[in-house]
Amino acid sequence: MTRKLLAALASWLYAALLFGFIFLPVVVLVLFSFQDGRLPVPPFNGFSLRWYEAVFADGKLMAALLHSFLVATVSSLVACLFGFLAAYALARYRLPGSALQRGLLIAPMTVSYLIIALGLLTVLNALGVGLSLWTVGIGHVVINLPLCFALIYSSMGAHHVNIERAARDLGAGEVKVMLLVTAPMLLPSLLAAFFLSVTFSWDEFIIAFLLSRFDVTLPVEIWSLLRSGLNPKTNAIGSLVFLVSVSVLMVLELWLFRRTRKS
Amino acid sequence: MNPALEGALARRLLSSIAVLSLGAMSAMIGTAPAAAQTTLNALVWCDHTDPALIEPFEKANNVKVNLKEYEGTGTALSIISQSRPGDWDVLVIDGVDVQQAVDKNILGELPAGTLPTADIFPEVRMEANNTRNGKTYAVTEKFGYNTVSYDKAKVDPADMRDMSKLWSDTYKGRIAVYDYYLPMIGLTGIALGKATADLKEADLPAIRSKLFDLKKNAKQVSDVVSSQTALATGEVDIVFGGGEWLTAGLVKDKPNLDWVIPDQGAVRWAQSIGVMKDSTRKELALKFVQYIVSPEGQARLATSACYWAMPANQKAGALLTETQKTALRWNEQADYLKKTQLYPIPTPELDAKMQDAWTEMLQK
Amino acid sequence: MTARSLKDKEQRKAWAFVVPALVWTLAFFVTPFLFMVAMSLWTQQGGMIVQSWTLANYLAFFEKSALFKGLVNSLEITAIVTVLSVLLAYPLAWIIAERVPRRFQRLALTLAVLPFWTSYVVRSYSWLLVLSKTGVINQTLMQIGLIGQPLELASNRTATVIGFVHFFVMLLTLTIYANLVQLSPNYRRAAADLGANGLQTFWHVILPLTLPGIMTGAFLTFVLCIGDYVTPQILGGNNELVLPQIIMLQLGRRADFPMAAALSIILMLVITAAYIACARWLKIERA
Repeated sequence: MTRKLLAALASWLYAALLFGFIFLPVVVLVLFSFQDGRLPVPPFNGFSLRWYEAVFADGKLMAALLHSFLVATVSSLVACLFGFLAAYALARYRLPGSALQRGLLIAPMTVSYLIIALGLLTVLNALGVGLSLWTVGIGHVVINLPLCFALIYSSMGAHHVNIERAARDLGAGEVKVMLLVTAPMLLPSLLAAFFLSVTFSWDEFIIAFLLSRFDVTLPVEIWSLLRSGLNPKTNAIGSLVFLVSVSVLMVLELWLFRRTRKS
Repeated sequence: MNPALEGALARRLLSSIAVLSLGAMSAMIGTAPAAAQTTLNALVWCDHTDPALIEPFEKANNVKVNLKEYEGTGTALSIISQSRPGDWDVLVIDGVDVQQAVDKNILGELPAGTLPTADIFPEVRMEANNTRNGKTYAVTEKFGYNTVSYDKAKVDPADMRDMSKLWSDTYKGRIAVYDYYLPMIGLTGIALGKATADLKEADLPAIRSKLFDLKKNAKQVSDVVSSQTALATGEVDIVFGGGEWLTAGLVKDKPNLDWVIPDQGAVRWAQSIGVMKDSTRKELALKFVQYIVSPEGQARLATSACYWAMPANQKAGALLTETQKTALRWNEQADYLKKTQLYPIPTPELDAKMQDAWTEMLQK
Repeated sequence: MTARSLKDKEQRKAWAFVVPALVWTLAFFVTPFLFMVAMSLWTQQGGMIVQSWTLANYLAFFEKSALFKGLVNSLEITAIVTVLSVLLAYPLAWIIAERVPRRFQRLALTLAVLPFWTSYVVRSYSWLLVLSKTGVINQTLMQIGLIGQPLELASNRTATVIGFVHFFVMLLTLTIYANLVQLSPNYRRAAADLGANGLQTFWHVILPLTLPGIMTGAFLTFVLCIGDYVTPQILGGNNELVLPQIIMLQLGRRADFPMAAALSIILMLVITAAYIACARWLKIERA
């Protein structure tokens, strides 16, 4: 009995320690975003909101937020759309070389972002294409397309085929079937793919860093902010992003996925 | 839930996402015409990114100045080589590298009589660097020193007057080394008694092993800002390669930070600014250069957020406060200028070897 | 005949659906990659790219110790990080799967990965705040008198490893948990019936069954860790360079695209080797 108790105690202690480790940087980040002073390290001088004010007053940061939002939504949408179409074709039709095609579509997932970015950069340079948010978006579709494709493809079970066939028998055209029957049935994985893409694109650094110039995304802007030294402003924007992401996550969890799971 | 309702909900959701992203897309396209307002693209060191410096010019000329910051001439040339001709209008570059830029046919000529040359401290006019065959390609805008910065509460200031002390066990693990090979190889050369102007390939082995020894004593090798941070937070007590650019801006919060030029001497840096040869907005670019070297621009540049340093234009002095001038050590410049040497100017081959030596040092 | 043409039509339609994704991947992934392979066989001299075929860049990689050391550093750090992360994450995943009541498991798991949602760059930065001499850990330890001198935690390999392990513990907890909950309790019962004690059950039954989850996670850790630039750049203090940092150096300081390309190909080969080593545990399945 005592041994069992001891084991339980040990495991709770371990869990507590690891959760402590996992949360330590976040707690420090948020705590010192309220620092009343120039350095986000102990001692804590007092509570102040001035760094949050500084964040909202920083036009470049706000622009970067908007850029990140645009790049993330647009690139994820493209990735989801292309991924869905490809998954539909490869799951429902017999195409020559389909294993090869699947392999090709998944391949970018196994390559470091740095390599993808570098490859795109050399080609864009050779073609004389200027860097912009569009080139960042292109890169983000490259990394998110395999993800969307794999997620959607793996959820295209055979049990959906009959419903699609029924719809076709009732006179629905191919596109109609795809949009009105298949897509809604796959909604959970479509949404999962979309939001996962958004998350990845939103947080991606190296591609955005190498493929952008003046208009940059948030991680790149934070990077240059970070290069302006230890500064509670970096804590403030980091905390804000964290807060917003977690709230979005909770809303999704509570509202969207719970709903779809029930059906 | 009722499946029909579920489907309807799903469709509404999908369509709202579609609408959302269409909106986003059009906003993205919508920003394009806005960007068509006159812009000026400048490739600069980080001190030029301070809004307090740039905004007055933007307002006065109704122009948007796009700034991209870099550290080290190699980086700047790399960025330029990745761009199309005409992408850049203004370039800020180390004075010693202007000739290299002229060789590469990057910089355009600055029309005679458009710059306040007479107001610039004679010691930093650097005609040999900024001009060629009587044509001016750039103008000095700011200068300072790569020397020794330290926290006087933690180290003996007398020690800092002797550069060799940085190699002693006393300061093991308490030094940050500035991560720019050119001035640091110059400084290490000076520590070995070699003048920066005479550095040759034959000097490299000695410098290399001296650098490796330095690395053993160093806690970290870091860029402008990380070095500043490390010194300010007490992570290190000394920044080798630092100077007023590292400490002057921090003095208000950290009065213990100080810097000195050791008896052996130190290296001097100077930034020049010029107009790109392929710029399609040469007139505006020149206006920007003129603003930066004007007394107002110079005073703002000297005390800009990323780092402080001496303005090249003497007239900026009238616009700086006494506290600012003290932090910049305005009155001691004559002495400093005498004790310091310019960056080494290596041939491309020697430059590559220097970079290799530096990378090897990082890996030690 | 009609059946045939119908089939052709169907095929055409199917191609139309798959083409956008294929073209995108070919244009923006395969082509750049091939171009990079070609580029790696050129050289950069005096700021110009010389388009004559040579293995000079690859030879330089093996000749210049500073470059080769980058790969060694990368491999060492990645190995340490992967092993540490698995060792730390497994017990946590197990506790969540076994000890936490069912209805709280999702919550516990969400909490365990919550810091994912701080921005990636910011995460490394916060570790810098935590680990520096004046940071929370050193200050706390000194306050309670455990240490007299601050520990050297920041700007070295320790810092890089801590930063990495933090991220990958979260990731691995997720993958290993997913694996653990799929195990039927019957296995354990069967093992117990056969007289196995807890440890034996774990060693002979649970661990082999969760190996695919571990390997998937470990492979992901390897790939993401060895290709990462941000964490070592922020936390490593330039005291040693890993391969991605050296790649960025070629790019940033010398515009030496051929060398950067060659180093990327080497990185790519290392990842491929890792993939082959783990291949039998990695499968992308269709439900």
